[in-house]
Amino acid sequence: MTAPGAAPDVVFENVSKFYGEVLGVNKVTLHIPAGITSLVGPNGSGKTTLMNLMTGLIHPDRGAISVRGLSPRDPENLMRSTGYATQFDSAPRWATGMDFVATSLALYGYSRAESRERAWKALEQVSLTDAADRKVAGYSKGMRQRVRLAQAIAHDPQVLVLDEPLNGLDPLVRAETIDLFRHYAAQGRHVILSSHVLQEVDVISDQVILIANGMIVAEGEIRNVRDEMVEHPSQFIIRCRDASRIASLLFNESHVTEIRMNDDRLGLLVMTRNREEFSRALTRVAVAGHVIDGVIPADENVDALYEYLIGGRS
Amino acid sequence: MAVYKRGYERYDGPLTSHTTRLLAMPRFAWARLMDQKLVVILLALSMLWPLLCGGFIYLANHLSLLQGFGGNDLGKMVEINGKFFLIFMNTQAVFSVLLAALTGPGLIAPDLANNALPLYFSRPLTRLDYVGARMAVLVGLLSMITWIPGLFLFIMQSSMAGGTWFAANWSLGVAIVGGFLLWIALLSMVALTCSAWVKWRIVAGALVLGFFFILAGVSQMVNSILRVEFGTLINPTRAMYIIWSAMLGVEVPSGPTPWECVSVLAALVVVLAMILERKLRPVEVIS
Amino acid sequence: MTKFRMRQAWTIARIEMHRAFLSKRAFWVYLLAILPAVIFIGHGIEMKLRESRYQGRGVTPAEVVDSFTKGEKVEDVLKRAPKPVEDHSWSYRRSHEDEEEEGETNKKRRISERVEGRSLTYFDGQRRVQVGFENGVLIRKHSDTMKNFEEDRTVFAGVFQYFYLRLAIFFGCLGIFMNLFRGEMLDKTLHYWFLAPARREVLLLGKYLAGLVAATVIFTGGALLGFGAMLWPYSGAEMQAFWSGPGPSHMFWYAAAAALGCVGYGSVFLAAGLLLRNPIIPAAVLLVWESINGFLPDLLQKLSILHYLQSMCPVAAPIESDTPALLRLILSPAAPTSRGLAVLGLLAVTMLVLWAASSAVKRIEINYGTE
Repeated sequence: MTAPGAAPDVVFENVSKFYGEVLGVNKVTLHIPAGITSLVGPNGSGKTTLMNLMTGLIHPDRGAISVRGLSPRDPENLMRSTGYATQFDSAPRWATGMDFVATSLALYGYSRAESRERAWKALEQVSLTDAADRKVAGYSKGMRQRVRLAQAIAHDPQVLVLDEPLNGLDPLVRAETIDLFRHYAAQGRHVILSSHVLQEVDVISDQVILIANGMIVAEGEIRNVRDEMVEHPSQFIIRCRDASRIASLLFNESHVTEIRMNDDRLGLLVMTRNREEFSRALTRVAVAGHVIDGVIPADENVDALYEYLIGGRS
Repeated sequence: MAVYKRGYERYDGPLTSHTTRLLAMPRFAWARLMDQKLVVILLALSMLWPLLCGGFIYLANHLSLLQGFGGNDLGKMVEINGKFFLIFMNTQAVFSVLLAALTGPGLIAPDLANNALPLYFSRPLTRLDYVGARMAVLVGLLSMITWIPGLFLFIMQSSMAGGTWFAANWSLGVAIVGGFLLWIALLSMVALTCSAWVKWRIVAGALVLGFFFILAGVSQMVNSILRVEFGTLINPTRAMYIIWSAMLGVEVPSGPTPWECVSVLAALVVVLAMILERKLRPVEVIS
Repeated sequence: MTKFRMRQAWTIARIEMHRAFLSKRAFWVYLLAILPAVIFIGHGIEMKLRESRYQGRGVTPAEVVDSFTKGEKVEDVLKRAPKPVEDHSWSYRRSHEDEEEEGETNKKRRISERVEGRSLTYFDGQRRVQVGFENGVLIRKHSDTMKNFEEDRTVFAGVFQYFYLRLAIFFGCLGIFMNLFRGEMLDKTLHYWFLAPARREVLLLGKYLAGLVAATVIFTGGALLGFGAMLWPYSGAEMQAFWSGPGPSHMFWYAAAAALGCVGYGSVFLAAGLLLRNPIIPAAVLLVWESINGFLPDLLQKLSILHYLQSMCPVAAPIESDTPALLRLILSPAAPTSRGLAVLGLLAVTMLVLWAASSAVKRIEINYGTE
């Protein structure tokens, strides 16, 4: 439920899309709140289909979609507040980077001067001003990626949809781009992106949507999703000096299913079915005088979720 | 473990012949084309005129059936001779252009658009083999509506009219088959070159149509504005009509001689072959 | 809001016009448009050059040229008209069969003889008269008017209706209008338009306007250029009479027919590009329909764009010269529709087609994979 005054969500209600006999997405129901949301799934799982559906490039066969209260069938209003950088690596042959961004701004009703000013600002945000007057057709893959991003953000949208936005970017630009997403999210906007680079998703996302075979496998904050996966024991790495002694103490706990010792005998990988019980057990070990240097969750990341939820399927 | 230790051994069993391997491409292409409703519809439509001509031949040889309708006069009208087969060939030529425009562009354009040529040429297949295999698709398809029904009509007429007619007109059979084969060769070259030239199937289809229709228009325009007749030479359909007229022993229309038409069409085929040779290179275009 | 949408449509049109006018892919359209003008200019240059060459070589009075009769000897002709503008001689062998009595039977014999041929061409200031001789005896005479305005106007009418309207504008519009949507599908750039804050109908209108402006400028310009090129060799009283008489109206209606051709064919091809994955099929059907239209019954003839465009043309086109004699017999052109009705009819059909296109554009989805 949306709090009064807060921006409404991006909502999918029982949405299905088929390409002829091929399934795109099936019975998807989603509420995507503001912040950075990552769509994660293997190739062909339906990530791009979801993005195309919410921006009106394709229409659902069943169900309804609303993007901050607007219908994707109403591009006139929807695209004023939405920017979409697709994965289609193409641009008009005639356009320079500046023309490409400024031309699309002209359709928002901005004057020529204002369009160019906004386009310049957008190109600046993606560090592409040096190549602004070169033809997009001559850009490298990374530059084309950035110019599409510039076009998507040039009109200052409330919802930013980005298909694999970090692909082909060098580390510096990648960091700047992630900062940009965070900046957008901090302002209460939606940043919905898809990515294959799970470590990045892990670092930048407020929430993830795991999708496989056109169906939503999990959604929410990574930690919450992990908590709900009771059939997979949680994993913790314990750094300690007395590893074998601590291991024998923990083995007595019924919720601990497996313990592996590091080769250096200074660390343990513990698998437990009950995180709270595990926490209490650790306290008891510490109180008993064993020195514990640190405890780190080993599977509260998208990698692990992906492996648990999707890995076996694809 | 090194990969080679897994014991890779290349296949050393019997191989099919070069021709059999070459025919694999047309075989798949024909199957794909026959799955297209429009191709089947056009093929069916293309058979209507030969059927009608078959009916004419039957009636022309059974004048007694027409006694009540002034059979003898009608018989003179539908006399089966070179002129009859020329009209038959001319009509089928129109259908063959439409069929070539529908099917030809899909033969090379998708391979070029998807950078698939390196895949073909990395197999034991030369460029000539590739063009030959692609051309075989069109030759097979166009034969079904051109010389095969033409030959069938000729055989039908020969069997009905008897040995005397055949002895006097056997050259018509040769002209029908030979004339249509020339036409198919030209048409296939045009369709394949258009397909290789523009890469896009749809645009290539328009180009095939435009090639024949626009050149016909330009030729007529040149003739009427300049009050000349050499403009006919740039109209491949008309030039072929003149060649067919000569082959069938029918009065050749005024204008260029059949040999002039042959020379111009041969030059056209050479130019088309050069364009094909230039366009079909096993290189990958990174865009 | 409507004003804003109109402005949006015009912005789209301006962006697209750049592509329609300057794209390398569209240069062949210019070629189609100016081809008649180029050939007419060539014809004009050839006429002018020949006229000045003939005048330099001597003009023979018309009554002398008219007095040549078959059977005359070449010497007699040259005595009366000693200044032919062209004089060609040649010789060849001719063979024929002859029957010869040999005993009681007639026997055929092939006889070969040498023939001396000569051709003299005279110019009387207007006409070119060719007289042919065999072995010094006049056997044929042929005359044609060097510059025949009426004939050229009829030729232009034929070129305009059979080539320009039926082929050049047809294929030109096919290229320009199909490129607007289907071309962007092939380039994988259509989604940029769909991601703009504009209704799909506004996008359609903008693109149609762009195509229409480009096609109209190119083809109306080409038609006027061709018309001018046809008139160019003529001067003096003939032209004065033409311009003070039907000239301006002819020029207007040729331009109007070309422009309305772009309006009609343009809408059809725009809609075909949206409604069908392979728009070449309806294009081929339309081309064949428009080509065989003259052979159809009256009512069916009126179901073609070409019929209405031809109705607007100021000069009736002659029947195509290479139409087989048998087909000429069954050709019965439908009575032309009145110009007002033709214009209204075309505009009504265009509106209907654009309406169908606008409902198609709303349904269209971005699915480049299958292109």
